Amino acid sequence: MLDNGVKAELDYHALNAMLNLYDSEGQIRFDADRKAAHQYFLQHVNQNTVFFHSLDEKLDYLVEEGYYEAQVLDQYSKNFMRQIWDEAYRKKFRFPTFLGAFKYYTSYTLKTRDGQRYLERYEDRVVMVSLALARGDEKLATRFMEEILSGRFQPATPTFLNAGKKSRGELISCFLLRIEDNMESIGRAINSSLQLSKRGGGVALMLTNIREAGAPIKGIENQSSGVIPVMKLLEDSFSYANQLGARQGAGAVYLNAHHPDILRFLDTKRENADEKIRIKTLSLGVVIPDVTFELAKKNEDMYLFSPHDVQKVYGVPFSEISVSEKYQEMVDDKRIKKRKINARAFFQTLAEIQFESGYPYIMFEDTVNKANPIDGRITMSNLCSEILQVNEASEFNDDLSYSRMGTDISCNLGSLNIAATMDGPDFGATVEAAIRALTAVSEMSAIDAVPSIRRGNDEAHAVGLGQMNLHGFLARERIHYGSPEGVEFTSVYFAAIAYHAIRASNLIAREKGESFKGFEKSKYADGTFFDKYTEQDWLPVSEEVTRVFDGITLPSREDWAELKSDVMEYGLYNRNLQAVPPTGSISYINNSTSSIHPIVAKIEIRKEGKIGRVYYPAAFMSNDNLEYYRDAYEIGPEKIIDTYAAATEHVDQGLSLTLFFPAEATTRDINKAQIYAWKKGIKTIYYIRLRQTALEGTEIQGCVSCAL
Amino acid sequence: MKDQILRTPLKAINWNRLDDEKDLEVWNRLTVNFWLPEKVPLSNDVQSWATLRPEERELTIRVFTGLTLLDTIQNTLGAPSMMPDAVTAHEEAVLSNIAFMEAVHARSYSSIFSTLCSTPEVDAAFRWSEENTHLQQKARMIVEEYNPGADPLKRKIASVFLESFLFYSGFYLPMYWSSRAKLTNTADLIRLIIRDEAVHGYYIGYKYQRGLEKVSEEKRQELKDFAFAMIFDLYDIEAKYAAELYDGIGLTEDVKAFLHYNANKALQNLGYEALFPPQACEVNPAILAALSTDSENHDFFSGSGSSYVIGKAVATEDDDWDF
Repeated sequence: MLDNGVKAELDYHALNAMLNLYDSEGQIRFDADRKAAHQYFLQHVNQNTVFFHSLDEKLDYLVEEGYYEAQVLDQYSKNFMRQIWDEAYRKKFRFPTFLGAFKYYTSYTLKTRDGQRYLERYEDRVVMVSLALARGDEKLATRFMEEILSGRFQPATPTFLNAGKKSRGELISCFLLRIEDNMESIGRAINSSLQLSKRGGGVALMLTNIREAGAPIKGIENQSSGVIPVMKLLEDSFSYANQLGARQGAGAVYLNAHHPDILRFLDTKRENADEKIRIKTLSLGVVIPDVTFELAKKNEDMYLFSPHDVQKVYGVPFSEISVSEKYQEMVDDKRIKKRKINARAFFQTLAEIQFESGYPYIMFEDTVNKANPIDGRITMSNLCSEILQVNEASEFNDDLSYSRMGTDISCNLGSLNIAATMDGPDFGATVEAAIRALTAVSEMSAIDAVPSIRRGNDEAHAVGLGQMNLHGFLARERIHYGSPEGVEFTSVYFAAIAYHAIRASNLIAREKGESFKGFEKSKYADGTFFDKYTEQDWLPVSEEVTRVFDGITLPSREDWAELKSDVMEYGLYNRNLQAVPPTGSISYINNSTSSIHPIVAKIEIRKEGKIGRVYYPAAFMSNDNLEYYRDAYEIGPEKIIDTYAAATEHVDQGLSLTLFFPAEATTRDINKAQIYAWKKGIKTIYYIRLRQTALEGTEIQGCVSCAL
Repeated sequence: MKDQILRTPLKAINWNRLDDEKDLEVWNRLTVNFWLPEKVPLSNDVQSWATLRPEERELTIRVFTGLTLLDTIQNTLGAPSMMPDAVTAHEEAVLSNIAFMEAVHARSYSSIFSTLCSTPEVDAAFRWSEENTHLQQKARMIVEEYNPGADPLKRKIASVFLESFLFYSGFYLPMYWSSRAKLTNTADLIRLIIRDEAVHGYYIGYKYQRGLEKVSEEKRQELKDFAFAMIFDLYDIEAKYAAELYDGIGLTEDVKAFLHYNANKALQNLGYEALFPPQACEVNPAILAALSTDSENHDFFSGSGSSYVIGKAVATEDDDWDF
């Protein structure tokens, strides 16, 4: 009914929107989107790009005008720069979708200071990022350029956006901070949140150690106001920093399920929450130990423990205690004030809040700590629930200086496009290049505003290599997401990634003669980490999966054994290697499906402050292979969990796992999925997402993704 | 004594005895869709608002005051006036929910105003809404049908036109802005309103069609003539209203196509054939696609989206905890 509107022929927004409306034959109009991308360049990008006669002229101008960092370019000869730029342009990169191009030009590319004209094309950004990360190593710079431009490796937004620019934010994606049970720590955390938001990173904070509402202060009862006012302060801090910075300030807070404020914490996201306690933009996460599941199984009450008392009794913060381990002991200790709620009711409340808001995230505390190869305790996750690292409390003097500096967490992320990596010439080399690029980000970063973060980064060089385009790749290979073959592929693929990532980090450790701090106490050092790889094959079994790995050398048990002895002898440079983020923006410019979860719709509607509503077709989808593009709601939680469980096995940190339900689902369905996820060894759950189907008679006709 | 026997007993509503399944279906849909404007982080639009030109801002405020007026009418007059006509007790309950949500909608525009605009700007726009002849005229046409003496079925016709047609000249603008990356959180809120109004229009239209089944063929013809005459008149006013608002930014033609589309939709809700041919309903795809409230993938850190609902709580059972 909307065919060939005259105006729509030229309006790239309208052309793009046609993706979401079937044509008269019921076909999806992929060609309209390609036209939209083309028109966008003709009408907008080309006309608004500053023209230079030569590369030299361009680079001189950009350095002189203070757009590019001179130090980055000074490390290379003019000759080499001409060569790498030539090579990049020879590859004739084109954006296959409108959203990819639109997102790149609105959010990433270098613009004149008034924001009106473009100074970079995609190739320029890729080369600048490569030059910056290679730090003068020509060979490495060329490697990075090839990996990024081919779409195999995609640095995370902060790195891809900022590297090589003169006035820029940090290259790091996200930060995790502890808060201890004292005013100095709370004050310092708020300051750190402001500082980190200003620099463009997401910040997560742990509230578990803060004493509950009604707890005594200086021995006087009923004095503390608990965690909610701290959350309010943090929420306001993030929205303030948001107004100054280029990216949205964003934060998350984590609380242990056995903290006495847990129900109040969850109620902040209720639809009818009072304005005084309502939390709108801060993300919530709950840390759940195994014992909570055991109690729910027996349909018993769960005790909530005063962190203040726990700290007094055990001499360490609440977060350092394994609640599962000490549960009975704490229940029986009359020095610890406690109250109880029904465990099943707790899970039900959790699901109710998830229905209304998508929150909270969940971290399965014991699963995470059991799988952690590093010495120390993991007490929280981050804004996207994929970072899982150990941290250490700091102590402060009255003037907020450190009396004892602990460590906090930062993480540099980047993702491989699974399809492009599988198609690439050298699987292992791609992973190695990615680990080297991420390591460079870590080494180039020094967050002096938050010394505990700086210390954590300097000592750990933790990185998080992620993956995306799993669904796109499987569909292209005509394998259903979540099918036995799909799960098998995921397992084999991630085992191979783990091998090459560890190998790369081991190589770096040998080159530098240095390992991360605490290596000797890790499961890498004593070799136990490698047991499951030397005792068992992680190779394809089915014909289907063997076929897709054709031509790729996969690590054998012998390869793993050799790696084991190398690691035990020479160490690892990076304390953490893998983490699978949700990949929003970067998967659009990289023409991928997001992360390793299924598509949310055949035509995804993307809304973001900076770009408005834009429509995005799933990677490799055509009108002929639609059956392989069942969306996440159709696929259902079990298959998603199975796929993630296969990947989790080989990922040292976490994976952002979103679960999808129809709006007709009940809290029980959500609870069942959570139980299943926990049972399958999933480490964290990210959002719960719902889709309401249209009431018959109220739907928008002819719409690909509509379900009003 | 005699008096007491004659008096009919007051009846309690029994949701376990339904005369019309649709009442429960719609009730469930409306209650899970409950929301309050506080959930939308409107303040994230402050920067975007500042990028609008003064005339665009004025237009936006005016459009929203126009919508506020319609919601006010539906809240205080429309839905309550239909209650006495209700055939079932459950229908009354649904109407009371509709009335309440209309009050929430009217309240929402004020939330937008208080977040984005200055008091004099808002006061000026409210004055404008009282003085604008087209707006007043269309509101009055509807209100007349809401008078206590009016025909119950005509009342429903008027109500469907209000819910499914008259709102949309206003809804167009936030959808347009959001397709241009402006005021995206405001658009989220408007989409929540659209989500509600779509169900309201559909439900009242459904009840109208049930009502038609009980009247004579002659009466049916009369009502149909009335409906078409009314939509013609309303369209006339609406076209002028749209021109007055949108000529300044050159969008009137596009808005009209959207009006045609929604007029057809309103007639469809009443069970009637389309008035405007498909060529006249070629809505800009960016607007049409922007209407869908669901399956939107947004950056969670900057908005709340419009797809969350109040869930059905069901306790887990022992089998669920089998591990």
